[in-house]
Amino acid sequence: MPDPTIAQSSTHDIVVSGQGVGKTFADGSVIALQDAHFNIKRGSFVSLVGPSGCGKSTLLRLISGLIPPTSGEIAVHGTPVTGPRADISMMFQKATLLDWRTAIENVLLPTEINGTPTKADKNRAFDLLKLVGLEDFAFSFPAQLSGGMQQRVALARLLQTGADILLLDEPFGALDEFTREHLNLELMRIVQEVGATAFFVTHNIAEAIFLADQVVVMTSRPGRMAKIVDVDLERPRPLSIQTSVEFNKLVEDVRETLGEM
Amino acid sequence: MAVQDAIPAPQAVEDTAGTVRRKRILRHAGIFLTLILMWEFGSRIGWLDPLFYPRPSNIMRSFWLIYFQNGNVWYHLYATMSLVFLGWIGGSILGIGLGSLVGFNSVLRRFLKPYVIVLEATPRIAVAPLLIAALGFGASSKIAIIVLVCFFAPFINTLSGVMNVDEDRLELFRSMRASKMQVLRKLVLPDAVPIIMAGERLALTAALSGALVAEFIQRDEGIGSLILVYTRNLNMASAFACIFTLTILGFLIFKGMEKIDFYVAFWKYEGGRERVSAKRRAAMEGPDHA
Repeated sequence: MPDPTIAQSSTHDIVVSGQGVGKTFADGSVIALQDAHFNIKRGSFVSLVGPSGCGKSTLLRLISGLIPPTSGEIAVHGTPVTGPRADISMMFQKATLLDWRTAIENVLLPTEINGTPTKADKNRAFDLLKLVGLEDFAFSFPAQLSGGMQQRVALARLLQTGADILLLDEPFGALDEFTREHLNLELMRIVQEVGATAFFVTHNIAEAIFLADQVVVMTSRPGRMAKIVDVDLERPRPLSIQTSVEFNKLVEDVRETLGEM
Repeated sequence: MAVQDAIPAPQAVEDTAGTVRRKRILRHAGIFLTLILMWEFGSRIGWLDPLFYPRPSNIMRSFWLIYFQNGNVWYHLYATMSLVFLGWIGGSILGIGLGSLVGFNSVLRRFLKPYVIVLEATPRIAVAPLLIAALGFGASSKIAIIVLVCFFAPFINTLSGVMNVDEDRLELFRSMRASKMQVLRKLVLPDAVPIIMAGERLALTAALSGALVAEFIQRDEGIGSLILVYTRNLNMASAFACIFTLTILGFLIFKGMEKIDFYVAFWKYEGGRERVSAKRRAAMEGPDHA
Protein backbone atom coordinates (compact mmCIF):
# COMPACT_ATOMS: atom_id res chain seq x y z
CA MET A 1 0.00 0.00 0.00
CA PRO A 2 2.69 2.58 0.80
CA ASP A 3 4.46 2.01 -2.52
CA PRO A 4 2.17 4.05 -4.84
CA THR A 5 2.13 6.88 -2.34
CA ILE A 6 5.90 7.07 -2.38
CA ALA A 7 6.04 6.85 -6.15
CA GLN A 8 3.48 9.63 -6.51
CA SER A 9 5.13 11.95 -4.04
CA SER A 10 8.53 11.51 -5.63
CA THR A 11 7.32 12.62 -9.08
CA HIS A 12 5.49 15.53 -7.49
CA ASP A 13 8.60 16.49 -5.63
CA ILE A 14 10.46 17.29 -8.82
CA VAL A 15 9.72 20.96 -9.58
CA VAL A 16 12.30 21.68 -12.23
CA SER A 17 13.65 19.17 -14.70
CA GLY A 18 15.75 19.35 -17.82
CA GLN A 19 16.24 16.71 -20.50
CA GLY A 20 19.18 17.13 -22.86
CA VAL A 21 19.04 20.89 -22.62
CA GLY A 22 21.39 22.73 -24.98
CA LYS A 23 21.84 26.27 -26.12
CA THR A 24 23.82 27.42 -29.14
CA PHE A 25 23.91 31.12 -29.86
CA ALA A 26 23.08 32.02 -33.43
CA ASP A 27 25.99 34.38 -33.96
CA GLY A 28 28.83 31.95 -34.63
CA SER A 29 28.83 28.42 -33.31
CA VAL A 30 29.21 29.25 -29.63
CA ILE A 31 27.88 26.32 -27.64
CA ALA A 32 26.83 27.96 -24.39
CA LEU A 33 25.36 24.83 -22.89
CA GLN A 34 25.44 21.21 -23.95
CA ASP A 35 23.24 18.27 -23.05
CA ALA A 36 22.20 19.18 -19.51
CA HIS A 37 20.08 16.75 -17.50
CA PHE A 38 18.70 17.58 -14.09
CA ASN A 39 15.85 16.92 -11.70
CA ILE A 40 15.49 19.41 -8.89
CA LYS A 41 13.36 18.61 -5.86
CA ARG A 42 10.95 21.04 -4.24
CA GLY A 43 12.55 23.29 -1.68
CA SER A 44 16.15 22.57 -2.66
CA PHE A 45 18.77 25.23 -2.80
CA VAL A 46 20.86 24.61 -5.92
CA SER A 47 24.12 26.42 -6.53
CA LEU A 48 25.54 26.64 -10.03
CA VAL A 49 29.26 27.13 -9.89
CA GLY A 50 31.91 27.32 -12.56
CA PRO A 51 34.25 29.63 -14.47
CA SER A 52 32.86 32.35 -16.70
CA GLY A 53 31.61 30.99 -20.00
CA CYS A 54 30.48 27.71 -18.47
CA GLY A 55 26.85 28.45 -19.25
CA LYS A 56 25.59 28.89 -15.71
CA SER A 57 23.86 32.18 -16.47
CA THR A 58 22.58 30.69 -19.73
CA LEU A 59 21.08 27.78 -17.82
CA LEU A 60 19.37 30.19 -15.45
CA ARG A 61 17.93 32.21 -18.32
CA LEU A 62 16.76 29.01 -19.99
CA ILE A 63 14.91 27.96 -16.85
CA SER A 64 13.37 31.44 -16.54
CA GLY A 65 12.06 31.21 -20.08
CA LEU A 66 13.80 34.43 -21.11
CA ILE A 67 15.59 32.50 -23.87
CA PRO A 68 14.47 29.28 -25.54
CA PRO A 69 16.72 26.18 -25.59
CA THR A 70 18.20 25.07 -28.92
CA SER A 71 17.72 21.45 -27.97
CA GLY A 72 16.03 19.48 -25.21
CA GLU A 73 13.30 20.60 -22.88
CA ILE A 74 12.92 22.21 -19.49
CA ALA A 75 9.81 21.54 -17.45
CA VAL A 76 8.64 23.40 -14.38
CA HIS A 77 5.86 21.94 -12.25
CA GLY A 78 5.41 19.38 -15.00
CA THR A 79 4.74 21.84 -17.83
CA PRO A 80 7.36 22.78 -20.42
CA VAL A 81 8.85 26.26 -20.16
CA THR A 82 7.97 28.30 -23.24
CA GLY A 83 8.46 31.81 -21.87
CA PRO A 84 8.58 33.82 -18.64
CA ARG A 85 6.03 32.51 -16.17
CA ALA A 86 4.41 33.46 -12.90
CA ASP A 87 5.87 30.64 -10.80
CA ILE A 88 9.43 31.73 -11.58
CA SER A 89 11.07 34.92 -10.39
CA MET A 90 14.52 36.22 -11.18
CA MET A 91 17.11 38.44 -9.52
CA PHE A 92 20.20 39.90 -11.16
CA GLN A 93 23.69 40.97 -10.20
CA LYS A 94 22.59 44.57 -10.52
CA ALA A 95 19.69 45.52 -8.26
CA THR A 96 17.80 46.83 -11.33
CA LEU A 97 15.61 49.00 -9.12
CA LEU A 98 13.69 51.85 -10.70
CA ASP A 99 15.27 55.09 -9.47
CA TRP A 100 12.01 57.03 -9.49
CA ARG A 101 10.25 54.58 -7.19
CA THR A 102 10.58 54.24 -3.44
CA ALA A 103 11.69 50.88 -2.00
CA ILE A 104 8.12 49.83 -1.30
CA GLU A 105 7.00 50.88 -4.80
CA ASN A 106 9.85 48.85 -6.28
CA VAL A 107 8.76 45.83 -4.29
CA LEU A 108 5.21 46.34 -5.53
CA LEU A 109 6.28 46.48 -9.19
CA PRO A 110 5.60 42.79 -10.02
CA THR A 111 2.15 43.10 -8.46
CA GLU A 112 1.47 46.25 -10.47
CA ILE A 113 2.47 44.49 -13.67
CA ASN A 114 -0.20 41.88 -12.96
CA GLY A 115 -2.93 44.34 -11.97
CA THR A 116 -3.75 46.95 -9.36
CA PRO A 117 -2.12 46.24 -5.99
CA THR A 118 -4.61 45.66 -3.20
CA LYS A 119 -4.28 46.56 0.46
CA ALA A 120 -3.17 42.98 1.07
CA ASP A 121 -0.45 43.28 -1.58
CA LYS A 122 0.84 46.44 0.08
CA ASN A 123 0.86 44.77 3.49
CA ARG A 124 2.75 41.87 1.99
CA ALA A 125 5.32 44.24 0.49
CA PHE A 126 5.81 45.86 3.90
CA ASP A 127 6.21 42.45 5.49
CA LEU A 128 8.80 41.47 2.90
CA LEU A 129 10.75 44.67 3.50
CA LYS A 130 10.67 43.77 7.18
CA LEU A 131 11.89 40.28 6.30
CA VAL A 132 14.94 41.73 4.54
CA GLY A 133 15.45 44.22 7.39
CA LEU A 134 14.45 47.37 5.58
CA GLU A 135 11.17 48.30 7.26
CA ASP A 136 12.59 51.73 8.11
CA PHE A 137 13.53 52.41 4.49
CA ALA A 138 10.23 51.63 2.77
CA PHE A 139 9.92 55.17 1.47
CA SER A 140 13.55 55.72 0.55
CA PHE A 141 14.60 56.00 -3.06
CA PRO A 142 17.32 53.68 -4.43
CA ALA A 143 19.81 56.58 -4.52
CA GLN A 144 19.37 56.90 -0.75
CA LEU A 145 20.27 53.24 -0.16
CA SER A 146 23.62 51.46 -0.10
CA GLY A 147 24.42 48.74 -2.65
CA GLY A 148 23.64 46.02 -0.13
CA MET A 149 20.34 47.63 0.80
CA GLN A 150 19.40 47.95 -2.86
CA GLN A 151 19.94 44.22 -3.31
CA ARG A 152 17.74 43.58 -0.26
CA VAL A 153 14.98 45.56 -1.93
CA ALA A 154 15.52 43.48 -5.08
CA LEU A 155 15.25 40.37 -2.91
CA ALA A 156 11.96 41.58 -1.43
CA ARG A 157 10.70 42.30 -4.94
CA LEU A 158 11.73 38.79 -5.97
CA LEU A 159 9.62 37.35 -3.15
CA GLN A 160 6.69 39.70 -3.78
CA THR A 161 5.92 37.82 -7.00
CA GLY A 162 4.89 34.82 -4.91
CA ALA A 163 6.85 32.57 -7.24
CA ASP A 164 8.13 29.40 -5.61
CA ILE A 165 11.13 29.08 -7.93
CA LEU A 166 13.76 31.74 -7.41
CA LEU A 167 16.56 32.29 -9.91
CA LEU A 168 19.48 34.29 -8.52
CA ASP A 169 22.16 35.33 -10.97
CA GLU A 170 25.15 36.31 -8.79
CA PRO A 171 22.83 38.52 -6.77
CA PHE A 172 25.48 39.78 -4.36
CA GLY A 173 28.44 39.51 -6.74
CA ALA A 174 28.97 43.26 -6.94
CA LEU A 175 29.04 43.76 -3.17
CA ASP A 176 31.97 43.69 -0.78
CA GLU A 177 32.91 40.46 0.99
CA PHE A 178 31.35 41.31 4.37
CA THR A 179 28.06 42.52 2.99
CA ARG A 180 27.90 39.50 0.72
CA GLU A 181 28.51 37.03 3.52
CA HIS A 182 25.87 38.71 5.62
CA LEU A 183 23.33 38.75 2.80
CA ASN A 184 24.06 35.10 2.00
CA LEU A 185 23.09 34.17 5.55
CA GLU A 186 19.89 36.14 5.25
CA LEU A 187 19.13 34.67 1.86
CA MET A 188 19.51 31.18 3.27
CA ARG A 189 17.15 31.99 6.16
CA ILE A 190 14.58 33.68 3.92
CA VAL A 191 14.51 31.00 1.23
CA GLN A 192 13.99 28.38 3.93
CA GLU A 193 11.29 30.49 5.55
CA VAL A 194 9.25 30.84 2.36
CA GLY A 195 9.94 27.25 1.29
CA ALA A 196 11.05 28.18 -2.21
CA THR A 197 13.27 26.29 -4.62
CA ALA A 198 16.33 28.39 -5.41
CA PHE A 199 18.96 28.41 -8.15
CA PHE A 200 21.98 30.44 -7.21
CA VAL A 201 24.69 31.29 -9.73
CA THR A 202 28.14 32.10 -8.38
CA HIS A 203 31.80 31.58 -9.16
CA ASN A 204 32.74 31.35 -5.52
CA ILE A 205 33.06 27.69 -4.57
CA ALA A 206 32.81 28.15 -0.80
CA GLU A 207 29.74 30.32 -1.18
CA ALA A 208 28.14 27.78 -3.51
CA ILE A 209 28.61 24.93 -1.05
CA PHE A 210 27.72 26.95 2.04
CA LEU A 211 24.30 27.86 0.68
CA ALA A 212 23.31 24.77 -1.24
CA ASP A 213 21.71 21.38 -0.91
CA GLN A 214 23.16 20.56 -4.30
CA VAL A 215 26.06 22.13 -6.14
CA VAL A 216 25.97 21.87 -9.91
CA VAL A 217 29.57 22.08 -11.06
CA MET A 218 29.90 23.41 -14.58
CA THR A 219 32.83 23.52 -16.95
CA SER A 220 33.36 25.68 -19.98
CA ARG A 221 33.98 25.31 -23.73
CA PRO A 222 31.49 23.93 -24.30
CA GLY A 223 29.39 24.71 -21.22
CA ARG A 224 28.51 21.45 -19.52
CA MET A 225 27.15 20.18 -16.23
CA ALA A 226 30.17 18.22 -15.07
CA LYS A 227 28.86 16.96 -11.76
CA ILE A 228 26.16 17.42 -9.18
CA VAL A 229 27.56 17.39 -5.64
CA ASP A 230 25.12 16.74 -2.80
CA VAL A 231 25.76 18.86 0.27
CA ASP A 232 24.60 16.98 3.35
CA LEU A 233 25.58 19.58 5.91
CA GLU A 234 23.09 20.23 8.66
CA ARG A 235 20.92 23.33 8.68
CA PRO A 236 20.93 25.97 10.01
CA ARG A 237 24.56 26.44 9.06
CA PRO A 238 26.77 28.85 10.95
CA LEU A 239 29.53 30.67 9.05
CA SER A 240 32.05 28.63 11.04
CA ILE A 241 30.96 25.49 9.21
CA GLN A 242 33.28 26.60 6.42
CA THR A 243 36.28 25.54 8.48
CA SER A 244 34.95 22.03 9.13
CA VAL A 245 36.51 18.92 7.60
CA GLU A 246 33.31 17.89 5.77
CA PHE A 247 32.98 21.31 4.23
CA ASN A 248 36.53 21.31 2.94
CA LYS A 249 36.13 17.83 1.53
CA LEU A 250 33.27 19.19 -0.53
CA VAL A 251 35.38 22.14 -1.64
CA GLU A 252 38.09 19.73 -2.76
CA ASP A 253 35.54 17.64 -4.60
CA VAL A 254 34.26 20.66 -6.51
CA ARG A 255 37.77 21.94 -7.22
CA GLU A 256 38.85 18.58 -8.59
CA THR A 257 35.86 18.56 -10.93
CA LEU A 258 36.75 22.03 -12.11
CA GLY A 259 40.32 20.86 -12.66
CA GLU A 260 41.81 23.60 -10.57
CA MET A 261 43.70 21.39 -8.14
CA MET B 1 36.20 64.00 0.67
CA ALA B 2 36.80 61.98 3.81
CA VAL B 3 40.31 63.35 4.09
CA GLN B 4 39.01 66.88 3.75
CA ASP B 5 36.49 66.23 6.47
CA ALA B 6 39.08 64.78 8.78
CA ILE B 7 41.74 67.48 8.39
CA PRO B 8 40.00 70.81 7.87
CA ALA B 9 42.07 73.69 6.60
CA PRO B 10 42.87 76.16 9.42
CA GLN B 11 40.92 78.86 7.57
CA ALA B 12 37.78 76.73 7.45
CA VAL B 13 37.82 76.30 11.24
CA GLU B 14 37.52 80.04 11.78
CA ASP B 15 35.21 80.82 8.86
CA THR B 16 31.80 79.29 8.80
CA ALA B 17 30.30 78.38 5.44
CA GLY B 18 28.16 81.52 5.63
CA THR B 19 31.04 83.97 5.91
CA VAL B 20 32.98 82.22 3.14
CA ARG B 21 29.95 82.60 0.94
CA ARG B 22 29.48 86.24 1.90
CA LYS B 23 33.12 86.98 1.12
CA ARG B 24 32.81 85.37 -2.27
CA ILE B 25 29.68 87.36 -3.12
CA LEU B 26 31.40 90.59 -2.02
CA ARG B 27 34.40 89.82 -4.22
CA HIS B 28 32.20 89.22 -7.25
CA ALA B 29 30.18 92.35 -6.59
CA GLY B 30 33.42 94.31 -6.30
CA ILE B 31 34.72 93.11 -9.65
CA PHE B 32 31.37 93.80 -11.30
CA LEU B 33 31.16 97.32 -9.90
CA THR B 34 34.73 98.08 -10.97
CA LEU B 35 33.96 97.00 -14.54
CA ILE B 36 30.78 99.10 -14.66
CA LEU B 37 32.62 102.13 -13.27
CA MET B 38 35.45 101.67 -15.79
CA TRP B 39 32.85 101.58 -18.55
CA GLU B 40 31.08 104.67 -17.16
CA PHE B 41 34.24 106.74 -16.90
CA GLY B 42 35.75 105.34 -20.07
CA SER B 43 32.67 106.62 -21.84
CA ARG B 44 32.72 109.99 -20.01
CA ILE B 45 36.38 110.80 -20.75
CA GLY B 46 36.11 109.63 -24.34
CA TRP B 47 37.97 106.29 -24.35
CA LEU B 48 34.77 104.65 -25.49
CA ASP B 49 32.58 106.12 -28.21
CA PRO B 50 29.37 106.94 -26.28
CA LEU B 51 27.40 106.46 -29.48
CA PHE B 52 28.12 102.73 -29.62
CA TYR B 53 28.98 102.12 -25.98
CA PRO B 54 26.46 104.19 -24.03
CA ARG B 55 27.22 104.86 -20.41
CA PRO B 56 25.79 102.43 -17.85
CA SER B 57 23.99 105.38 -16.25
CA ASN B 58 22.28 106.11 -19.57
CA ILE B 59 21.34 102.46 -19.97
CA MET B 60 19.79 102.55 -16.51
CA ARG B 61 17.83 105.62 -17.51
CA SER B 62 16.64 103.82 -20.64
CA PHE B 63 15.50 100.91 -18.50
CA TRP B 64 13.41 103.36 -16.52
CA LEU B 65 12.07 104.88 -19.71
CA ILE B 66 11.06 101.75 -21.59
CA TYR B 67 9.72 99.93 -18.54
CA PHE B 68 7.99 102.65 -16.56
CA GLN B 69 7.93 106.12 -18.07
CA ASN B 70 6.90 105.06 -21.57
CA GLY B 71 6.18 101.45 -20.65
CA ASN B 72 6.42 100.50 -24.33
CA VAL B 73 8.58 97.43 -23.73
CA TRP B 74 5.81 95.42 -22.09
CA TYR B 75 3.87 94.95 -25.27
CA HIS B 76 6.95 93.70 -27.13
CA LEU B 77 8.06 91.55 -24.24
CA TYR B 78 4.67 89.90 -24.22
CA ALA B 79 4.78 89.42 -28.00
CA THR B 80 8.20 87.76 -27.85
CA MET B 81 7.42 85.62 -24.83
CA SER B 82 4.17 84.28 -26.24
CA LEU B 83 5.99 83.37 -29.46
CA VAL B 84 8.77 81.65 -27.53
CA PHE B 85 6.29 79.75 -25.42
CA LEU B 86 4.08 78.60 -28.30
CA GLY B 87 7.03 77.67 -30.49
CA TRP B 88 8.70 75.82 -27.66
CA ILE B 89 5.56 73.85 -26.85
CA GLY B 90 5.11 73.02 -30.54
CA GLY B 91 8.75 72.05 -30.99
CA SER B 92 8.67 69.93 -27.84
CA ILE B 93 5.57 68.03 -28.87
CA LEU B 94 7.06 67.46 -32.30
CA GLY B 95 10.50 66.54 -30.93
CA ILE B 96 9.38 64.23 -28.13
CA GLY B 97 6.69 62.64 -30.30
CA LEU B 98 8.96 62.04 -33.26
CA GLY B 99 11.82 61.00 -30.98
CA SER B 100 9.80 58.29 -29.25
CA LEU B 101 8.30 57.14 -32.54
CA VAL B 102 11.69 56.78 -34.19
CA GLY B 103 13.20 55.35 -30.99
CA PHE B 104 10.69 52.53 -30.80
CA ASN B 105 10.52 51.71 -34.48
CA SER B 106 13.79 50.37 -35.82
CA VAL B 107 12.54 50.32 -39.41
CA LEU B 108 11.55 53.97 -39.23
CA ARG B 109 14.90 54.71 -37.60
CA ARG B 110 16.84 53.13 -40.43
CA PHE B 111 14.98 55.10 -43.08
CA LEU B 112 14.98 58.41 -41.24
CA LYS B 113 18.60 58.36 -40.12
CA PRO B 114 20.11 60.02 -43.23
CA TYR B 115 17.55 62.82 -43.05
CA VAL B 116 18.27 63.37 -39.39
CA ILE B 117 21.98 63.68 -40.17
CA VAL B 118 21.29 66.14 -43.00
CA LEU B 119 18.98 68.14 -40.75
CA GLU B 120 21.57 68.15 -37.99
CA ALA B 121 24.26 69.43 -40.34
CA THR B 122 22.10 72.22 -41.76
CA PRO B 123 21.87 75.43 -39.72
CA ARG B 124 18.11 75.38 -39.32
CA ILE B 125 17.87 79.14 -38.93
CA ALA B 126 18.87 79.41 -42.61
CA VAL B 127 15.46 78.09 -43.55
CA ALA B 128 13.74 81.01 -41.81
CA PRO B 129 13.35 83.24 -44.93
CA LEU B 130 11.87 80.33 -46.84
CA LEU B 131 9.36 79.71 -44.09
CA ILE B 132 8.30 83.34 -44.23
CA ALA B 133 7.98 83.11 -48.00
CA ALA B 134 5.82 80.02 -47.63
CA LEU B 135 3.67 81.10 -44.70
CA GLY B 136 3.72 84.88 -45.14
CA PHE B 137 4.45 87.55 -42.57
CA GLY B 138 2.81 87.17 -39.18
CA ALA B 139 2.74 84.97 -36.13
CA SER B 140 2.41 81.65 -37.97
CA SER B 141 5.73 81.91 -39.80
CA LYS B 142 7.45 83.16 -36.66
CA ILE B 143 6.19 80.22 -34.66
CA ALA B 144 7.19 77.88 -37.48
CA ILE B 145 10.74 79.23 -37.31
CA ILE B 146 10.88 78.72 -33.54
CA VAL B 147 9.46 75.21 -33.83
CA LEU B 148 12.12 74.43 -36.41
CA VAL B 149 15.05 75.69 -34.35
CA CYS B 150 13.96 74.18 -31.05
CA PHE B 151 12.54 70.79 -31.95
CA PHE B 152 15.90 69.17 -32.53
CA ALA B 153 17.25 68.95 -28.97
CA PRO B 154 14.13 67.26 -27.55
CA PHE B 155 14.05 65.00 -30.60
CA ILE B 156 17.63 63.77 -30.27
CA ASN B 157 17.46 63.51 -26.49
CA THR B 158 14.18 61.62 -26.49
CA LEU B 159 15.57 59.31 -29.14
CA SER B 160 18.69 58.49 -27.18
CA GLY B 161 16.77 58.29 -23.90
CA VAL B 162 14.31 55.81 -25.35
CA MET B 163 17.02 53.75 -27.04
CA ASN B 164 19.45 53.58 -24.13
CA VAL B 165 17.24 51.60 -21.79
CA ASP B 166 19.23 49.43 -19.43
CA GLU B 167 19.25 45.84 -20.75
CA ASP B 168 19.03 44.30 -17.28
CA ARG B 169 15.96 46.29 -16.39
CA LEU B 170 14.38 45.35 -19.70
CA GLU B 171 15.07 41.70 -18.89
CA LEU B 172 13.53 42.18 -15.45
CA PHE B 173 10.36 43.50 -17.05
CA ARG B 174 10.31 40.62 -19.50
CA SER B 175 10.75 38.10 -16.68
CA MET B 176 7.74 39.70 -14.99
CA ARG B 177 5.79 39.25 -18.21
CA ALA B 178 5.15 42.96 -18.65
CA SER B 179 3.30 44.08 -21.77
CA LYS B 180 4.92 46.42 -24.30
CA MET B 181 2.74 49.23 -23.00
CA GLN B 182 3.82 48.54 -19.42
CA VAL B 183 7.49 48.53 -20.41
CA LEU B 184 6.92 51.87 -22.09
CA ARG B 185 4.95 53.49 -19.29
CA LYS B 186 6.72 52.06 -16.28
CA LEU B 187 10.28 51.81 -17.54
CA VAL B 188 11.26 53.52 -20.79
CA LEU B 189 9.50 56.87 -20.44
CA PRO B 190 10.27 57.58 -16.77
CA ASP B 191 13.84 56.49 -17.41
CA ALA B 192 14.11 59.00 -20.26
CA VAL B 193 12.66 61.93 -18.31
CA PRO B 194 15.97 63.46 -17.13
CA ILE B 195 17.55 63.44 -20.59
CA ILE B 196 14.35 64.73 -22.21
CA MET B 197 14.34 67.55 -19.66
CA ALA B 198 17.93 68.40 -20.60
CA GLY B 199 16.77 68.63 -24.22
CA GLU B 200 13.88 70.86 -23.21
CA ARG B 201 16.25 73.25 -21.51
CA LEU B 202 18.32 73.59 -24.69
CA ALA B 203 15.12 73.92 -26.71
CA LEU B 204 13.83 76.84 -24.67
CA THR B 205 17.10 78.75 -25.08
CA ALA B 206 17.03 78.00 -28.81
CA ALA B 207 13.43 79.18 -28.95
CA LEU B 208 14.42 82.59 -27.61
CA SER B 209 17.13 82.94 -30.28
CA GLY B 210 14.70 81.74 -32.93
CA ALA B 211 12.13 84.31 -31.88
CA LEU B 212 14.70 87.11 -32.13
CA VAL B 213 15.77 86.08 -35.62
CA ALA B 214 12.13 85.85 -36.71
CA GLU B 215 11.54 89.35 -35.34
CA PHE B 216 14.71 90.71 -36.95
CA ILE B 217 13.36 89.53 -40.29
CA GLN B 218 9.78 90.63 -39.84
CA ARG B 219 10.38 93.84 -37.83
CA ASP B 220 6.81 94.25 -36.69
CA GLU B 221 6.77 93.59 -32.96
CA GLY B 222 8.71 91.93 -30.19
CA ILE B 223 12.01 92.63 -28.44
CA GLY B 224 13.95 91.73 -31.60
CA SER B 225 12.12 94.37 -33.62
CA LEU B 226 12.54 96.86 -30.79
CA ILE B 227 16.31 96.36 -30.80
CA LEU B 228 16.33 96.97 -34.55
CA VAL B 229 14.31 100.19 -34.21
CA TYR B 230 16.47 101.57 -31.39
CA THR B 231 19.69 100.75 -33.19
CA ARG B 232 18.46 102.36 -36.40
CA ASN B 233 17.61 105.49 -34.41
CA LEU B 234 21.05 105.34 -32.77
CA ASN B 235 19.32 105.02 -29.41
CA MET B 236 21.97 102.61 -28.20
CA ALA B 237 21.18 102.97 -24.52
CA SER B 238 17.67 101.65 -25.10
CA ALA B 239 18.99 98.91 -27.38
CA PHE B 240 21.31 97.85 -24.57
CA ALA B 241 18.42 97.94 -22.13
CA CYS B 242 16.59 95.53 -24.46
CA ILE B 243 19.64 93.28 -24.70
CA PHE B 244 20.01 93.17 -20.92
CA THR B 245 16.32 92.41 -20.73
CA LEU B 246 17.04 89.35 -22.84
CA THR B 247 19.93 88.45 -20.53
CA ILE B 248 17.58 88.51 -17.57
CA LEU B 249 15.01 86.57 -19.57
CA GLY B 250 17.58 83.91 -20.49
CA PHE B 251 18.59 83.63 -16.85
CA LEU B 252 14.98 83.30 -15.73
CA ILE B 253 14.40 80.62 -18.37
CA PHE B 254 17.43 78.72 -17.09
CA LYS B 255 16.28 78.99 -13.48
CA GLY B 256 12.71 78.12 -14.39
CA MET B 257 13.80 74.98 -16.22
CA GLU B 258 15.96 74.03 -13.26
CA LYS B 259 12.90 74.36 -11.05
CA ILE B 260 10.77 72.25 -13.41
CA ASP B 261 13.51 69.63 -13.57
CA PHE B 262 13.58 69.52 -9.78
CA TYR B 263 9.92 68.54 -9.79
CA VAL B 264 9.73 66.37 -12.89
CA ALA B 265 13.01 64.47 -12.44
CA PHE B 266 12.92 64.69 -8.64
CA TRP B 267 14.87 61.48 -8.02
CA LYS B 268 18.05 63.11 -9.31
CA TYR B 269 18.04 65.64 -6.47
CA GLU B 270 18.60 65.06 -2.78
CA GLY B 271 15.91 67.59 -1.92
CA GLY B 272 13.53 66.21 -4.52
CA ARG B 273 13.89 62.68 -3.18
CA GLU B 274 13.26 63.83 0.37
CA ARG B 275 10.18 65.80 -0.64
CA VAL B 276 8.59 62.99 -2.66
CA SER B 277 9.61 60.38 -0.10
CA ALA B 278 7.72 62.22 2.63
CA LYS B 279 4.72 62.68 0.35
CA ARG B 280 4.58 59.02 -0.67
CA ARG B 281 4.88 57.96 2.95
CA ALA B 282 1.94 60.18 3.89
CA ALA B 283 -0.10 58.87 0.96
CA MET B 284 0.49 55.19 1.60
CA GLU B 285 0.91 54.98 5.33
CA GLY B 286 -2.69 54.71 6.49
CA PRO B 287 -3.73 54.45 10.13
CA ASP B 288 -3.15 50.68 9.99
CA HIS B 289 0.55 51.25 9.36
CA ALA B 290 1.05 53.95 11.96
